[in-house]
Amino acid sequence: MIYDIRHITTYRYEAPVAATRCTLRLLPRSDPGQTVIDSMLDVTPPPAGMAEHRDFFGNRVVILHIATAYRELRIAALAQVAVERPQSPAPGLTPAWESVRREAAAANTLDAASPVHRLYPSRRVPFYAPATDYARASFPPGRPILEGAADLMTRIKADFTYDPKATAVSTPLAEAFAKRGGVCQDFAHIMIAGLRGLGLPAGYVSGYIRTRPPPGQKRLEGADASHAWVSVWCGLEFGWLDLDPTNAVMVGDDHIVIAIGRDYADVSPIDGVITGSGDHKLSVSVDVVPVR
Amino acid sequence: MAGKRRSGKRALSTVERVRAWAEGYETLGGIPDEFIGEDGLPRPHWLQFLNALARIGQEEIDQRFAAADRHIRDMGMSYRVLGEANERSWPLSRLPLLIPEAEWKEISAGVVQRAELAERVLADLYGDGRLVADGVLPAAAVAGSADFLLPLRGVSPPGGRWLSLYAADLGRGPDGRWWVLGDRTQAPSGTGYALENRLVISRAVAGLYRQLNVERLAPFFREFRAGLTAAAERSEPRLCLLTPGPWSETYFEQAYLARYLGLLLVEGEDLVAAEGRVHVRTIAGLKRADVIWRRVDGDWCDPLELNAASRIGVPGMIEAIRRGAVAVANLPGAGLMESRALLGFMPMLARRLLGQELRLPNIATWWCGQASERDKVLHSLEEMAISGAFTETVPGFDDKRIVIGAELDPAERRRLAAAIGERGIDYVGQEIVRLSTTPLWEDGRLVPRPFVLRVFAAWTPEGWRVMPGGFCRISDRPDARAVSMGAGVQSADVWVLAKEPVEMATLLPGDKVKIVRLLGNLPSRAADNLFWLGRYLERAEATLRLVRCLSGRIMDAETPSQSTRQSIDHLKRLLGSWGAVASPAADLTATEIAISALRDEQNYGSALAIARAARRAASAIRERLSQDAWHLLGLLEARLSAEWPAIATEPQMLERTEAALQTLAAISGLLGENFNRVAGWSFLEIGRRLERGINTCRFARQFAGREATAENLDVLLDLIDSQITYRSRYLIGVALAPVRDMALLDPFNPRSVGFQVARIDDHLAGLPSLGQDGMLEAPHKIALELRTDLAIEDAEGIDAGKILGLEQRLTSLAEAIAMRYFLHGPNALRAERFTGLA
Repeated sequence: MIYDIRHITTYRYEAPVAATRCTLRLLPRSDPGQTVIDSMLDVTPPPAGMAEHRDFFGNRVVILHIATAYRELRIAALAQVAVERPQSPAPGLTPAWESVRREAAAANTLDAASPVHRLYPSRRVPFYAPATDYARASFPPGRPILEGAADLMTRIKADFTYDPKATAVSTPLAEAFAKRGGVCQDFAHIMIAGLRGLGLPAGYVSGYIRTRPPPGQKRLEGADASHAWVSVWCGLEFGWLDLDPTNAVMVGDDHIVIAIGRDYADVSPIDGVITGSGDHKLSVSVDVVPVR
Repeated sequence: MAGKRRSGKRALSTVERVRAWAEGYETLGGIPDEFIGEDGLPRPHWLQFLNALARIGQEEIDQRFAAADRHIRDMGMSYRVLGEANERSWPLSRLPLLIPEAEWKEISAGVVQRAELAERVLADLYGDGRLVADGVLPAAAVAGSADFLLPLRGVSPPGGRWLSLYAADLGRGPDGRWWVLGDRTQAPSGTGYALENRLVISRAVAGLYRQLNVERLAPFFREFRAGLTAAAERSEPRLCLLTPGPWSETYFEQAYLARYLGLLLVEGEDLVAAEGRVHVRTIAGLKRADVIWRRVDGDWCDPLELNAASRIGVPGMIEAIRRGAVAVANLPGAGLMESRALLGFMPMLARRLLGQELRLPNIATWWCGQASERDKVLHSLEEMAISGAFTETVPGFDDKRIVIGAELDPAERRRLAAAIGERGIDYVGQEIVRLSTTPLWEDGRLVPRPFVLRVFAAWTPEGWRVMPGGFCRISDRPDARAVSMGAGVQSADVWVLAKEPVEMATLLPGDKVKIVRLLGNLPSRAADNLFWLGRYLERAEATLRLVRCLSGRIMDAETPSQSTRQSIDHLKRLLGSWGAVASPAADLTATEIAISALRDEQNYGSALAIARAARRAASAIRERLSQDAWHLLGLLEARLSAEWPAIATEPQMLERTEAALQTLAAISGLLGENFNRVAGWSFLEIGRRLERGINTCRFARQFAGREATAENLDVLLDLIDSQITYRSRYLIGVALAPVRDMALLDPFNPRSVGFQVARIDDHLAGLPSLGQDGMLEAPHKIALELRTDLAIEDAEGIDAGKILGLEQRLTSLAEAIAMRYFLHGPNALRAERFTGLA
């Protein structure tokens, strides 16, 4: 499947903003199963400097420097991406979760794909015993790792309510867990916390998901959204496999990856240091259009 | 006092005195002690020290240490306990920790070995990772550290080293040998405190200090500085000390070190990364920073690539490091070596990387991420101390720093075992060690107390150099397991006792030094704080003069005349609009208003509130002020905040006001006499003169209006301290035009607005210009125009409207100065904030 993606973020400030340096993680990465055919950023006002590099996890990071004063900042990320992922392995064939835990603790590489970087508490996923206790029910002794992870994902979908009003970007994990509600980011963080609590490596993936309009209706312009899900390490043989707790599905050709990391903080689409005063209004519009 | 003793009581002999001090000194069973050796006898070097001390005589000792305490207070030596608003005065033990030269050689060699080992481990883990690939070190024992900073992987360190300053915390193990309790590689604190401790103690017991051949500290600092310089690309590099700011626990030390080593003390805001380099924002524009000695933790150094929430870092610093354009000591990420998980691997790493055994053993440590180690810990949980492998506290056990297996009840022990079974990677087991002890002076007696000795090694062009001495912390609790500065902890000087007399040394460099008369460029933030220090000092003086004037008027007449009453009303109104008293102040008596204006801190314009603001501004530029100036600022605050009697009388009030004014005069005098006449002085002066100009306008509007009475004019002359000048110039009594001239125009009266403007103009002319075109910059234009207008104005033509206009032009001048020279314009510190965008 090939997608055209348009992701436009606009900030409107009450008072002029003097200078901006920000970090953008808006351009999708090429990975096995996903090829970026074309991608670009369009920023107004035009930046004084814009440099792209790869971060530790191989994500595409653009550092932007705007020197002119402005009241409105518009960042448009455009991309065409071909997605064709291999079939997920049969869960029953994956190793027992305890042996995955042993393999992770004994890993002998510090490379980006190593399980160890996504094994410990991170900025947005601290130690949180209730999430671990919740996850434990999915992992009776000897259960294959992917079976357990898929079960946990399904339980989260069933037990937690999708409610954009329940949480915000900065809501801590514990609060979302207590509310039993939130959005994709919260579900991903909760699932990650549960898995890591059991000693299992799990990471955060940001991206998009194709939405299908209800039968007989047209697709709404700009109504798609950013999405997030979980990557679970399934041992040396199977490596990282992606699961989407918001929709309780294995990640397939409907998902497009932008960036991967330990949690939201590693993949946050726009981080910035703004010099200025006054409040701002933010608007985001996303279109994910399948072209072939 | 000396020599007077009660008759009949014989003076104690030296030996008896030492015996009295040591009486009841009981070491704790099985724990080594510095004073009493394993054979139960006092160690010879301690006896030598105590005998020498005893010869001084008890009273003189007390006097000397009382003087040392005053010295500490006067220098403002302090530290902060996290979360506390006020800094605490520095607690210093009277007794140094004594280490004979032969023993020190062992320690020193061990610390150098460990520093080099830490350097090599860092280079490997951030480099090609051989140690992990070859199975020497599990990846999970590395990645668990929050200081394993992923963006630093693959970076080759500018200057060639990960570590410039290494420290080890030491204690004596049960076998009497020195042991390493922990490695400090993030940004070790304590070098400055060690230096200060030395200064105080070596003065207090100068004779002993010479007699015992104590190794000097200064050469170490000289070499450390040389090491920093050598890390730079340029031959005359700009060296900065990056501080988290005045709220940091050890800000005093940072400011002290910056001054002692001649480094530019900067906060994150002072630095800007552009085109891959790091620059200091100065009043002359951006100037390259070559070497940064950071006291900001690694993860907080760069919000763009590390912790996005950091407000104390420098956006873009990591990129500049990657490009090799700035050397940072220690490199962010170096804190990795502090994690306990690595402790257990150190003996093996030493063999592998150095081909050597560790010269200083560390506490036996088992990282529970490995099956056999975990099993060992679980099997002997009752003989173990459990700590977080990577965290300050033990995961799952609230905020305990350490959990002793034997002290847990069975249920808790089962819970601990289960947690270690599930995520052993987060825990280490360590053998239980008690800290060894050293004598502390307590009520005229020696008592053994647990201590930790921090020893420092610096990387220099000639290799590692160890500070001969260190930073020692002693707990007053006999059973302490950890000693960090806080309640009940003292620090102690550390004396390395040489066999032969040591050479005198200071920070004077040996080789030829190029003479420099102007020191670098002033950072914008420092200019900002100096400017405000000047303004606050002047504002405090104005408030005090208002209060003095008011008190004087109240006291002068039992039944004040109509005109005096009017003046009193004006003064009250001024104090109200000043913010010195809460408005509406109408129902307060004049006396109540005066007292409130002096000491009510919640009123932002009260003398006390302004004195505090002055001290805050000064604290951010402490490395630029003399100890005396800092001390006087403290005194000013103390005078204003001292307890008042229940019923304060006018004479008391007047007395306090006078005392505070005298302190202010002393501050002005001191700054005027010993502040370097470079840009910093200009900003202090500009601030002060602007404030004085603005205040004089406000006074003149109130007391020199068209309807002004002789009494009103008299008040004005009081407020601007121009009575004597006026009387000597005009033999007639006060009259409107001459008073206006004296207050606003007279270029020879150092209190007139015209005089202030002329000085400001002079100062601005001397400041660096950004452009190369020779055109005047905005603030200078305003000042020059104002100066000219005042020069050609005559007193007859002045009215209230003109005075108001003058005041407003001074205010715009202040804004123009802020815009041009300070960080981000007039309200920078308040308006600037971090915005997490999405």
